[in-house]
Amino acid sequence: MRLAQEIARTVPIQRINTLMAEVQAARKERDQLQSEVNRLQQELDAVTNQEGLKELKTELNSYRIEAGLVAVTGPGVEVTLNDSTLIPKPGQNPNLYVLHDEDILRVLNELKAAGAEVLAINGERLVATSEVRCAGPTILVNKTKRLAAPFVITAIGNPDTMINALNMRGGVVDTLRQFWGIQVSIKKLPEVTIPAYKGSRRFEYAHPVRE
Amino acid sequence: MKKKELVSLGLIALALGFLLAFTYRTANRVERTVPYDRAHELTLELKALAKERADLEAQARDLRAKLAKAKQGYSEAQLALEAEVKEAAALAGAVPLEGPGVRVVVDNPPGTAGGTIFAVRDEDLLKIVNELRAAGAEAISINGQRLVSTSEIRTAGSFINVNLQRITPPYEILAIGDSAALKAALEVKGGIVETLRDWGVRIQVEARQQVKVPALSKPLRFDYARAVETGGKS
Repeated sequence: MRLAQEIARTVPIQRINTLMAEVQAARKERDQLQSEVNRLQQELDAVTNQEGLKELKTELNSYRIEAGLVAVTGPGVEVTLNDSTLIPKPGQNPNLYVLHDEDILRVLNELKAAGAEVLAINGERLVATSEVRCAGPTILVNKTKRLAAPFVITAIGNPDTMINALNMRGGVVDTLRQFWGIQVSIKKLPEVTIPAYKGSRRFEYAHPVRE
Repeated sequence: MKKKELVSLGLIALALGFLLAFTYRTANRVERTVPYDRAHELTLELKALAKERADLEAQARDLRAKLAKAKQGYSEAQLALEAEVKEAAALAGAVPLEGPGVRVVVDNPPGTAGGTIFAVRDEDLLKIVNELRAAGAEAISINGQRLVSTSEIRTAGSFINVNLQRITPPYEILAIGDSAALKAALEVKGGIVETLRDWGVRIQVEARQQVKVPALSKPLRFDYARAVETGGKS
């Protein structure tokens, strides 16, 4: 008992506890700011809802969809990926049979090629700057969002085109299933809603080219 | 053996047993204490969150200013809206951007006209782009094609398509962001540059004070996705 308590008081553990509390507080603050920004944006939308500004609004709307600044809805697909059921033979590298970031990247790439208009993974909107990286058994997307398996990709677009592309013989899904034993299931959705990007999208280094 | 001796021997054995069990448990616990990596991971997360917070604060300030302006009248509302459109257009890839960054040139191993298994593939480019994004790249293009959220990089026949346009080697990737961080992410030991070079692929990474990333060359079009109206609710 006493020893266990002493261990809990060791510097490494204290350090982690402090950091964890800080991360939690920072997340909370971030979320509050996020809802404040959303509220302001809605207010601005309401104020600018005037005849004569319609054309500008339509333009803004399509930029916002691409930039991930609004939630979107439409028909699409849901692709669920989970780790392999294959048991590697002795001497084989078991790491080859677990889901990798590159598998997710390839599925996303296939969906994009098949005309996906908006994408998300486990509810995280994917934008032009979104990365997908392995971090131990979890993956990190959009810099701070940690996701755990199963990984559910949702895509809005023509469902049949996307499903056909994924299921092509010798295609991405075939390879994942047959070769690496990754579990893949694909579902057609008549309507799916994808949330807006969480966090701010501001450029620190990039500026519009001055003519 | 006398009874007394037996008892004390038993006691000693018991004490030893406890001690062993205790030591074992303690050792086990110590091993389960947090490795350095976790503290490191949390610190990185904190940093990223701090940046998100600062960005959101700036955005809120900016929106408040626009809102105050827009409330003054029609032409002010139009100006505020135009400013919003301009910012969203930049984020959507609809305007060319410039800034510091890197220029990456990737080419097939010498003497192979796309013929060997180590010729540059779509997935190699995907990985490079993914590393650049993870390192905070703000805008990226490949051979003049701006990468947006739906841009594919995909082998079609013996070529690679980006935004449905065929691109051919050498592949030139331009990325705007913290040039040192972008360069380091690619050139880290055991990273993508090292792997590709081991395969014979020619790859050069160059930090630049100024790179220009072109706008998306096709208009944005959404046939299936529509924005969710949030107007009334909050």
